[in-house]
Amino acid sequence: MTAPLGLVVATERTPNTPHQFQFWTAIDSPVGIGTIVRVDGRQPVDGHIPHVYGVVTEGFSYTDLASPLFDVLGHDGDPGQAAFAPTERAEVRLYVAAVLRHVPEEPLQPVPMGEVFLATEADVAIALRMDSYLREDANTGIPIGLYRSGGMDSAIYLDAEFLVGPEAAHLNITGVSGLATKTSAVEWLMASLFAHFPKSKGSVAAVCFNVKGPDLCFLDQPAELEESDRAMYETLGVPCAPFPDVRYFAPFKADNVSLNTLRSNEELLANVQPLTWGLREVLQFAEVLLNRDDVDAKADALIDFIKERVLDRDFEDRVLKQKHRVRSFADLEGWFKDLLSGMEDQGNEHWRTHHVATIRKVRNRLSNISTRCAGLVTNDGHTSDLPWGDFTDRAVYVVDVALAEEDAQDLIFARVVSKLREHLERRDLGVTHVVVFVDELNKYAPADGPDTYVRKMLLDIAERGRYLGLVLFSAQQFRSQVHRRVVGNAGTALYGRMDGDELATPGYAVLSAATRTKLATLSKGQLMVRHPHFTQPIFVSFPRPAVMRGRDGMERFPQAADVPLDVGVLRQLRRFEPSLTLAWVQDVIGLYEDEDVLRALHATLAHAPEKAGAYFKAQFRKIVGAAPAPAVARTPLRALPDDDPYAI
Amino acid sequence: MDGARSTEETKNGAFETLRSVHAAQRLLVRLVPNVRTATGGGSPLERLERELELPHVIDAEGAEDATLRARPVPGAPTPAIRAFLDGTQRSQVLGWIGALPLVYGTSGAVVRQRVERQLTTWGAPLVRHRIYAPLAYAPREELEGALGAHLEDTTRPAPDGSIPPPHPTLLLERATLAVSRDRERLELTLAERWCAERAHDPIMIDGGIGSSELVARSACAVGVVKSHRTLYADGDALGVVLALGRGERSSVIRIAPRGRSEVLSWYLRLRSTEGRDALWGLVRVEMCMADTPTITARADEISRWLLAECSPLAAPDPRWDRMAYGIRSAEEFLRATTN
Repeated sequence: MTAPLGLVVATERTPNTPHQFQFWTAIDSPVGIGTIVRVDGRQPVDGHIPHVYGVVTEGFSYTDLASPLFDVLGHDGDPGQAAFAPTERAEVRLYVAAVLRHVPEEPLQPVPMGEVFLATEADVAIALRMDSYLREDANTGIPIGLYRSGGMDSAIYLDAEFLVGPEAAHLNITGVSGLATKTSAVEWLMASLFAHFPKSKGSVAAVCFNVKGPDLCFLDQPAELEESDRAMYETLGVPCAPFPDVRYFAPFKADNVSLNTLRSNEELLANVQPLTWGLREVLQFAEVLLNRDDVDAKADALIDFIKERVLDRDFEDRVLKQKHRVRSFADLEGWFKDLLSGMEDQGNEHWRTHHVATIRKVRNRLSNISTRCAGLVTNDGHTSDLPWGDFTDRAVYVVDVALAEEDAQDLIFARVVSKLREHLERRDLGVTHVVVFVDELNKYAPADGPDTYVRKMLLDIAERGRYLGLVLFSAQQFRSQVHRRVVGNAGTALYGRMDGDELATPGYAVLSAATRTKLATLSKGQLMVRHPHFTQPIFVSFPRPAVMRGRDGMERFPQAADVPLDVGVLRQLRRFEPSLTLAWVQDVIGLYEDEDVLRALHATLAHAPEKAGAYFKAQFRKIVGAAPAPAVARTPLRALPDDDPYAI
Repeated sequence: MDGARSTEETKNGAFETLRSVHAAQRLLVRLVPNVRTATGGGSPLERLERELELPHVIDAEGAEDATLRARPVPGAPTPAIRAFLDGTQRSQVLGWIGALPLVYGTSGAVVRQRVERQLTTWGAPLVRHRIYAPLAYAPREELEGALGAHLEDTTRPAPDGSIPPPHPTLLLERATLAVSRDRERLELTLAERWCAERAHDPIMIDGGIGSSELVARSACAVGVVKSHRTLYADGDALGVVLALGRGERSSVIRIAPRGRSEVLSWYLRLRSTEGRDALWGLVRVEMCMADTPTITARADEISRWLLAECSPLAAPDPRWDRMAYGIRSAEEFLRATTN
């Protein structure tokens, strides 16, 4: 029998309630804010001794001094004399705890007077209701970290049913920037999810949007971990290794040959794929790039017309000088030119109900897209995309948009999420659950500001995603500035170290002052967790992710410098056929324009053939070298008369 | 009744039934006819005005100097006291039989031991709950049957056989005095126990030490008297005592109040009287008798111990200028555990 840690106390002024109680402890007790305790009642209720589990939310310490002045007087105003006082004043450590659980649950009564004990590992499981989902026959626990108290470590589990759905879903993490807590926590949790997600619940993959820096660029590279971290991995049953199956996707730079990612080191290119879309893919999401001021109902109608009637089909019209088959932005530009020229020639202001001004406006806006999203949107119509329909269980797909323009980021996010949703609805994605990780939610789903397409999509995932298996893991610095419905729908919330100003916002009023103070001083590797099964927030420690930190990765695998076209082509082709040489590439592309080379390269990348060199070479049309033609002796049709008077 | 309850008490349940004034009232109403119980809690009788002994002075025989004088205490204050003993009492009217008051009294005593600057309880505190009734005028048989040893007669006959008249105020005063005697007995028990078991560890006792021969002879016992209704100095000596400066003591005197053992005593000024009355910070110290050559050194040593106890302050107790923190701790402990 362990010794009690404290005793429950209550007075008329500060009585205990069913949801809160007070207890005092010895001065040297290992209790702190966040400690989980168990109260054993003294009197049985309905034949059962009540047990109450609580988490410490506030602490007080005071002495029997009625006024600080008495202490001043007692030391003759000299603080240095305090050390010589033969007796230390009586001091009390009084704690307030919020109730986590009553056992038995009914009748729900105020917390009884009784002895207080530090919660054991079994107590922690009961207190957090983990016993309901850690059953041997139906274990849906996903380790989130270790609860540490009094020299004891207890594994804390989230319920997969409430993290990935369908009961509840989504996770949101808040914390100040610069401590790597948010990214680290998500990387750790994804590893934990992949290790513990029950096979019976299906398969799971993750799509991570890398929106800043190299944070997520080295998920497949190992980290140097300390022994304490390795021990935590072992305790929590998660492999201490980088993700085995990670695929990167990044748009090109404006040169259309170098990948626009910080993971461009040649050593790491094997699993980096270009992310390029053609006209068809972009037009589906024109709304993302064209705001309401740009696109009124009339323009919308024309864009719909182009999508339905022009794109990817032979199109003829009496106004047009020729038949068009529009597959790329270049084709579309040609179509617009022909159409506007024809209208001018015929003196028409309208074409099929569309006014010439609307046509010019839409032409302008759409043409702009290929410029604004250079590197992502190809002019030649070639597409290199995520493996829709072919997603793999426990794989991570990182879409690196950190270096992309804002418009391109929005477009990528909107399209990827829409496609995920579309495939999950049809159940043909390849996996049954997808975790989408989005950082900087302050930017993508702000509480105020314009109602953007991206925000609408995030709201849609947050509110309906769990039914599809589409789960949002989101992060931001200021939770208070994110749309309420996005964070409100997150069943699980994690909090790293918080900014004082943020903690002063009304959203944190439910936390005690001590808990807020603890949040403001959390160190790396510590989190406060809220989860539907936990009636109060719980503090846990989690290990450093077993993947290389972005900063370390950038030192070990520096970003490749911009290279000439031939070198860029070689890098891309070598991913499929490493034996290719620069001389060979130069020989193949020497006679062709850059545009032709890129078209050939994109076609090769899109098909990813085994013999990439041969395929690439086959994409070029035959060009015959120039050579002087031999002089040919020509015979006059009729001989001139010798006496021709007009002959010269 | 000791904190460690006797088997008999536990068996008959009397101890439990007297743990609170309400429990005692319920018991009496059940077992004694015609008892009217008091309502509203009732004020402690200790707060009622009583005819107290008038303040007076007594000339005492010098044990250190022929003429009493002021002596600065040499050396720095040195903490050496290992424990503090004090007792508390509380009496309140429980009810009446006719006009005769029944008083519920609680007395207690405790030793607070200092270990590494922390005060903890030494052994078990002694606590006694009793009912004080004028048995000469009340139904003695019913009361004794109901309360047994927990009953105290407030009309006990004097040596000449007379019994006090049934004046309610007088009976209340006699009850209060009886509670005081019980408290003193408990203090004495603990003091003797300490002196027997811990003879080499100095203990500060709140009040005089002469009521027990054993304690009065123990070198470890230091009595500290805070009230000065009796001043053991007359004439010039009184002026010396009242003019003592901070950190000064008077010459040691020999005192032997009636019915008490002879002890050595001196006055010690703990705090400056600037802006205060002449008794501010003044205590009278008692120690066991000692050989004349050693008296000065011993009185200086004990004075240094007591000066060390000036901090921390015993505030907010109104007697904080004379009270050691350890004594206050003892009182607070008893207040917390007996009320």
